[in-house]
Amino acid sequence: MADNIIAVRTGKTVYREGDYAVKVFDEDYAKPDVLNEALNQARVENIGINVPKVIEVKTVDGKWAIVSEFIEGKTLAQLMQENPDKLDTYLEMFVDLQMQVHAAKCPMLGKLKDKMNRKISEADLDATTRYELHTRLESMPKHTKVCHGDFNPSNIIVKADGTPYILDWSHVTQGNASADVARTYLLFTLTGDEALAAKYLDLFSKKSDTAKQYIQKWLPIVAASQSVKGKAEEREFLLSWVNVVDYE
Amino acid sequence: MNNYEIVDSTKKLEAAFAKVRKAQKAFAEYTQEQVDKIFLAAASAANKQRIPLAKMAVEETGMGVIEDKVIKNNYASEHIYNAYKETKTCGIIERDESAGITKVAEPIGVIAAVIPTTNPTSTAIFKTLIALKTRNGIIISPHPRAKKSTIEAAKIVLEAAVKAGAPEGIINWIDVPSLELTNMVMKEADIILATGGPGMVKAAYSSGKPALGVGAGNTPAIIDESADVLKAVSSIIHSKTFDNGMICASEQSVIVVGKLYDKVKKEFEARGCYFLKEKELDKVRKTIIINGSLNAKIVGQSAYTIAKLAKVDVPESTKILIGEVESVDISEEFAHEKLSPVLAMYKAKNFAEALDKADRLIADGGYGHTASLYINEVTEREKIHEYAERMKTCRMLINTPSSHGGIGDLYNFSLAPSLTLGCGSWGGNSVSENVGVKHLLNIKTLAERRENMLWFRAPEKVYIKKGCLPVALAELKQVMGKKRAFIVTDSFLFKNGYTKCITDKLDEMGITHTTFSDVESDPTLASAKAGAKVMESFEPDCIIAVGGGSAMDAAKIMWVLYEHPDADFMDMAMRFIDIRKRVYTFPKMGEKAYFIAVPTSAGTGSEVTPFAVITDEQTGTKYPLADYELMPNMAIVDCDLMMTGPQSLTSASGIDAVTHDLEALVSVMATDYTDGLAMRSLKMIFDYLPRAYDSAAKGASYDYEAREKMANAATMAGMAFANAFLGVCHSMAHKLGAFHHLPHGVANALLINEVIRFNMVEAPAKMGTFSQYDHPKTLAKYAEVAEYLGIKGKNAEDKVEGLIKKIDELKARIGIKSCIKDYGVDEKDFLDRLDDMVEQAFDDQCTGANPRYPLMKEIKQMYLNAYYGTHEKV
Repeated sequence: MADNIIAVRTGKTVYREGDYAVKVFDEDYAKPDVLNEALNQARVENIGINVPKVIEVKTVDGKWAIVSEFIEGKTLAQLMQENPDKLDTYLEMFVDLQMQVHAAKCPMLGKLKDKMNRKISEADLDATTRYELHTRLESMPKHTKVCHGDFNPSNIIVKADGTPYILDWSHVTQGNASADVARTYLLFTLTGDEALAAKYLDLFSKKSDTAKQYIQKWLPIVAASQSVKGKAEEREFLLSWVNVVDYE
Repeated sequence: MNNYEIVDSTKKLEAAFAKVRKAQKAFAEYTQEQVDKIFLAAASAANKQRIPLAKMAVEETGMGVIEDKVIKNNYASEHIYNAYKETKTCGIIERDESAGITKVAEPIGVIAAVIPTTNPTSTAIFKTLIALKTRNGIIISPHPRAKKSTIEAAKIVLEAAVKAGAPEGIINWIDVPSLELTNMVMKEADIILATGGPGMVKAAYSSGKPALGVGAGNTPAIIDESADVLKAVSSIIHSKTFDNGMICASEQSVIVVGKLYDKVKKEFEARGCYFLKEKELDKVRKTIIINGSLNAKIVGQSAYTIAKLAKVDVPESTKILIGEVESVDISEEFAHEKLSPVLAMYKAKNFAEALDKADRLIADGGYGHTASLYINEVTEREKIHEYAERMKTCRMLINTPSSHGGIGDLYNFSLAPSLTLGCGSWGGNSVSENVGVKHLLNIKTLAERRENMLWFRAPEKVYIKKGCLPVALAELKQVMGKKRAFIVTDSFLFKNGYTKCITDKLDEMGITHTTFSDVESDPTLASAKAGAKVMESFEPDCIIAVGGGSAMDAAKIMWVLYEHPDADFMDMAMRFIDIRKRVYTFPKMGEKAYFIAVPTSAGTGSEVTPFAVITDEQTGTKYPLADYELMPNMAIVDCDLMMTGPQSLTSASGIDAVTHDLEALVSVMATDYTDGLAMRSLKMIFDYLPRAYDSAAKGASYDYEAREKMANAATMAGMAFANAFLGVCHSMAHKLGAFHHLPHGVANALLINEVIRFNMVEAPAKMGTFSQYDHPKTLAKYAEVAEYLGIKGKNAEDKVEGLIKKIDELKARIGIKSCIKDYGVDEKDFLDRLDDMVEQAFDDQCTGANPRYPLMKEIKQMYLNAYYGTHEKV
């Protein structure tokens, strides 16, 4: 099976088995988290977005695994890298896809706000900063849009015929789409490509007719949430985004 | 030192709440004297600790300037005490005996006070003091960054208050702040005094409790070309550097108009401000704002410290970092609120552009807060006015440092001192002024019943006596010097020489005159317009109306058209409840012509009433006009003009006057004045109408005494109803007349007894609404009338029956039939259109003064009774 490794992520490895992709979780991965991920993925199967369907949840050598459809194709990240001249087209496709997700409704999903509140409380920040962040989050408008939560080009697979599929629904919630956009912007920034991040934000705010400031208001919150399990080297950068105040 | 329970969990907070609630319950019973003593003690204690508290706040938060915080603490105790020391906040705070209004102040209960990091001690002092002054309890939710100093300030106030007699625990606080506890405080409290950023204000408003929240400011300061540059620049520096720019009303940008720019820039430089160079600008931009939000590290720091953070070299003594920028869009970092001595400076071509820029900056992040303008306030009033119209801010300060100016009482002594500045609905606030004690009170209004003012109005001159006409008219020449008289009459009177005695007199006095004699019996707008046209070309300085109601009404309308050609009758006829409160203001009459009314029949009373009815012949609409402007200036009651009236006219007008009296007597607006006139008038009619009627028969001889009594009785009745108004009998008669063409007096005669029976009921379905009319008492009034007329009876009902009988006898005596049917009104037609007639009668202007408020089905039954001559109880 080791030959068929498609991807390796923190705590999980994805293999291919014929028409299926098998995501195997490390032994210390909590059962509820695995089942929850499978449940989330199952929930978004029927909201009008191309999502690989869940086939089975099982254990392999005592490790939990989710078996889903295998989508043959290249990730959008690969495509962007391979065809830099088509970057604008890909970015456009990326934003359109994200907006499609936001347009969907899926009432059974967990609430983005609850998740963010939890993350802020878990973050290694002083009481004052957590208080500011909680207050900021509290004042954000409550929506019920589907937010992927880890929307980045490596989670999109484009089939040979051009049909895109969205993968990895472990972070999906329902809530304010601008938080999802802020997170994507943060992910772009963390890759070091600030120009692409800026381009993405401009394009999204233009296409969705959302004020950039409105999305930016979420940045301290998503940066704080990222800092919870983030890499140590990113911490200082994330904290510089976190340490801001509401006007008085 | 007292020991306080540490509040760090929801359970502890619940206990703290219970304690404050208990204390507040006791506090609510305190007298003004006790409260004022506590207020004084608490303010003094806070004031004494101004320096330690300032030091503590700066040390704890790492923000601001000790010396300035001392001023803030001092201000929060002294100015607040001074402003409210005399203010009544307990129990009865206001009483107006004659109006019957008493205002009673009650505390609201427990206040949730959210206190910011920027002004922790001064805000705590301010909020606790106004809570004490209003007998409220207060729980403080401090900001984690400033909790120690905030709590210390609250403790000082609490301990002094308790020592002066306040209940233990009237002030409490959260020791370990968290959003959960803050939200709980807000949900549990009775009102929220939230000072803080938009997030906190929003949380306050979503807690479901009434909140006095305030939000962000982004104060632009415009320096107009007419401004005093020395004053403007120093004021801005003074304000912007105050506590390192942490007052929310502080200037964030300066907009300099036109050629003054360089002068202003030089002055800023000369006073120690630093203008950032091209490359430094970007460094500072990135330092102060991160992703559109304010960097927490720069708040309340000195210009030098911020420059150092941005890696820009400036002298340590630098007062303010100024960025010369162009964009007022929020994407420009300098356009934000900066809470530090960093200022944006803009150039505007002219005042209009400066207003546009300020407008935009306010929209960027300071809706509802504060704006300031430096200008010559003597010569530039127009600009100031324009400014006041344009700015969407609740404070607009002229030639004033905005930090000090906005909080009030320092640079203007009528702006209330406060550390919580309302930003109106623009800022999502419930108040738009500086928050003070009045916002922490429930003011109860005790309204005692008072009765409406009434009046008695009549023409300035009423001349009475057989043969008085020429004598009265002499005044036109001798006293008033009139030159041109316009006579309005109907063709019958004109042809029969009724106006000759008038024209002879006018000729004798050399007064030019003309006569319009084309008045119909129900005067139309068309004929009034025709008359007015003649009037317009003739230009009279006096109008003499001669005739019955129709001629006098027509003349009144011509008078209106002559004086106010653009008058809209639809507006004038607008229905009203109280003539003193009506929406429409009747135009002033009498500017062109003096109006004299000379009645030739005894009944209508129009010579002394403020009423006129005119019919639009094209639509059939009747416009009943009522306004004291329509009252004639002079009435001449001379029975010489009534000697030849025919019997039908005599009886119809005479019985009309009976109904005027009876309705005025029982009207909810009846007064002793109108009663006196109506009673006497009624008696005279009963005594003399039969004789006048007889004398009107063909071949009978004149009965001058009866005619004169009737003339006076009708005018007196007119005066009574001109002031007391009429009732539902006239409402119904108006529509009966209009629907089935019965003479007005006859229609009233057919309905009056039904109305008496209707009004005399002691437990009516509804009574009329008028303060004076305090219970159904019309039966007694009718009985009183009956007694006055000499009718005997064993009780009130009996007497009223006697009155009804007497009216029936009078009607029969003067040839009036007993029911509508007898006048040949077709039964089917009557019934077919009855519902329409009922609704219109209900909506008649006269209905409102009736002592019993009629239901439509009741009006219908009265009509049916009057039609068939039955008396089914209504």
